[in-house]
Amino acid sequence: MSFWQLVSAELKAIVADKAIAVTLFGGVLFYSVLYPLPYLHQVPTEQQLVVVDLDHSSLSRRLIRHADASAKISVIGQVTSISQAQSWIESGRAHGLLVIPEGFRRDLLLGKGVTLSYGGDASYFLIYSAVAEGLVTAGMDAGKQVQLLGMLAKGEAPKQADLSLNSVKINSVPAFNPSLGYTPYVVPGLFLLILHQTLLIGTGILGAGQWRRKGYWREISPLQLVCGRISAFMLIYLFFSSFYVGFCFYWYQVSVQASLSLVTLWMLPFLLATSAAGIALSCLFVRRDLPTQVLLLVSMPIMFVSGFVWPLALIPEPLIWLSQVVPAVPAIMGMLELNQMGASWSSVMPKWLQLWALFAMFFMLAWYGVTRRLESAVDETN
Amino acid sequence: MNSLVALIRRELHALWNSPWQLALVSYIPVLSIICLWWLFSAGLPRQLPVAVVDSDHSQLSRMLTRKLQANPVVAPQNFVDLPSAVTAMKQSEVYGVVLLPYGLQRELMTGHSPVIDVRYNSQFLLVGKLLSSQIQLTLGSGLLEVAGVKQLLQGVPKSQVALHLSPVTSQTTALFNRNNNYVGFLVPPVLVALWQLLAMLIFSNSLSRELNPEGSYAADSGIWPRIWAKIAVFTPILLLHGGFILALLYQYLALPVAGSLALLILAQFVMLLAVWLMVLLVFFIMRDSARMVSFGTALFAPAFAFMGITFPVHEMPILAQWWRLIMPSSHYVDSHVSIVSYGVGWETIAQQLTSYWGFLCIIPVLFLLSRRIEKSMNTESNQQMLDPELMSKNSGADL
Repeated sequence: MSFWQLVSAELKAIVADKAIAVTLFGGVLFYSVLYPLPYLHQVPTEQQLVVVDLDHSSLSRRLIRHADASAKISVIGQVTSISQAQSWIESGRAHGLLVIPEGFRRDLLLGKGVTLSYGGDASYFLIYSAVAEGLVTAGMDAGKQVQLLGMLAKGEAPKQADLSLNSVKINSVPAFNPSLGYTPYVVPGLFLLILHQTLLIGTGILGAGQWRRKGYWREISPLQLVCGRISAFMLIYLFFSSFYVGFCFYWYQVSVQASLSLVTLWMLPFLLATSAAGIALSCLFVRRDLPTQVLLLVSMPIMFVSGFVWPLALIPEPLIWLSQVVPAVPAIMGMLELNQMGASWSSVMPKWLQLWALFAMFFMLAWYGVTRRLESAVDETN
Repeated sequence: MNSLVALIRRELHALWNSPWQLALVSYIPVLSIICLWWLFSAGLPRQLPVAVVDSDHSQLSRMLTRKLQANPVVAPQNFVDLPSAVTAMKQSEVYGVVLLPYGLQRELMTGHSPVIDVRYNSQFLLVGKLLSSQIQLTLGSGLLEVAGVKQLLQGVPKSQVALHLSPVTSQTTALFNRNNNYVGFLVPPVLVALWQLLAMLIFSNSLSRELNPEGSYAADSGIWPRIWAKIAVFTPILLLHGGFILALLYQYLALPVAGSLALLILAQFVMLLAVWLMVLLVFFIMRDSARMVSFGTALFAPAFAFMGITFPVHEMPILAQWWRLIMPSSHYVDSHVSIVSYGVGWETIAQQLTSYWGFLCIIPVLFLLSRRIEKSMNTESNQQMLDPELMSKNSGADL
């Protein structure tokens, strides 16, 4: 059997196996739509806010209008007491509340300090931060307005008054994901993880289904089988990766900083290491329904330990060490640095070399595992 | 009744003899629950590295750096020049850069309006947003002090200074999750998603044991008594896992819970029934162990994203809101938040549980599917086997 015959036999086996075909072709397509689906609107806007206006003055109404005008908040109604506002939040009608105290306008004009109270439902973080941001800005604006009026009344020049109100400008700008969108935040890491998991599952099911049966895999050496299998999966994942890292990144407006050649160079050891790891893992199974189950259960921990959802600085050290043998972990962080944050190649080099080392390790393990599996299969048939 | 007891015994026996299934009901859930909690155990993002480039080297810039140091969220690291700070940020060694410009103090004192540049890493959205607000707050309060000194110099009485600076103060309260703890916010939904996956896997495995390699099942006594036995065995086991999650979070870690845990267990029970219905539907349609697991995975793996905890439900596209309803976990999470945060009573929960009505539509479909499968199996066996005794047995099962 020549090498290309082997690769084509592998490809045929992959396509003919319904469970693998569904996982690879169906899964990769399906997940590319399903996972980003909740986040398509990107930024939470117009969170429902209920107002308790105890002042009923021109200024309090102006403050409410300001809050409503903020993109993050939409004022859906006014109630007369805080407990009523609370019940609105508990029933899910509103997610935040603003309390304007009695005598708000009078106290301000008299030069007394006043306190506005905001509350946001912190059971939902994004909602809470949107409500808090919107209200703080609206409150600060109202405060400045009053200050400005006071200064103008004291006879200060408008320009001078404005300057003394905003003496230092703090110019806080997001870097790398300028729209603060949710899909550009989630998609790059998640899609690499999907590629990783489907590739592991595909190689896992293929191996688990074969070890006890007869077929072309018995007629060749283990080394040939491992090389042929890696080549076949690399061919398929060439298309999947182009689809995910190319088209999907473009479609979901993920900012891309690295050149095509660098991304290709990055994906190469990642896919090689993952397919070798998949073959090595497949030697542990003889039941075809097990690889999916095991890999499904480790998906969530891998996602959280790879450091794009929850900061690496806060993850306990032992978990980080353990995770370093999973190809997706260095691959995701390196890809984010290289492609999303524009780091130089030399700075991601250690992770790239780590991926090659993982490839070497898993290749040896796969070779050893397949040898053992095929030997024991021969023993059984004898 | 006796036959049900016998079937339950058979089920327990099968469970005991399957190492993987035994692992799924015993140490795997415990390990993964503890592992996921451990991951988030820091709870509050603290001491996040931020690069500070001080080009001014003035009293003011040093004061601002000290202010940043005093903020528990920020761990400022001094960088000599901007390019090295930018490189560190690109390598995600720091999550933000604060540039205190040359001439900051002089310009402020001479009545100009200098600009402090802050860049934060929003590729890590959670960390980025937090740092942005914390850095702005800290710098803002630091500068306010300076402005206060200026006011005093202008002859404003001390009691009036604070008032002049900010006549409107604001008090922001995080309702229900007082200290913004991420363990209280992220870990419960993550664990519920995991629990749902475990339930799906355990029930699928147990069902696929009834299948022969051709994708049909032995029809002699009908499939339904055996399904009832499985439900009777695995519902208590899974509720035990659910109870373990609740005990870990709300008893051992003592996260605040406003309502009653008994109600939460009731909500978990109803969620499990919905999961069983979904898995049964997949079972009757697929009738192949590997494909059942693949399909169940496709259904339930993204459950966490659709729960609406990290991203609000009403901001999702309508298609996502529909898809969300397919997953029992999303229904459960609504009740979970209502009980844990708002402390609602059973009336509200009973009302929330009615949202599961869609799952009831699965029941007639299941009966229809199982009837059709048994019928087609009977005709097959009629053609294959001519043994009159077996034939009469099969037709008897059909009635």
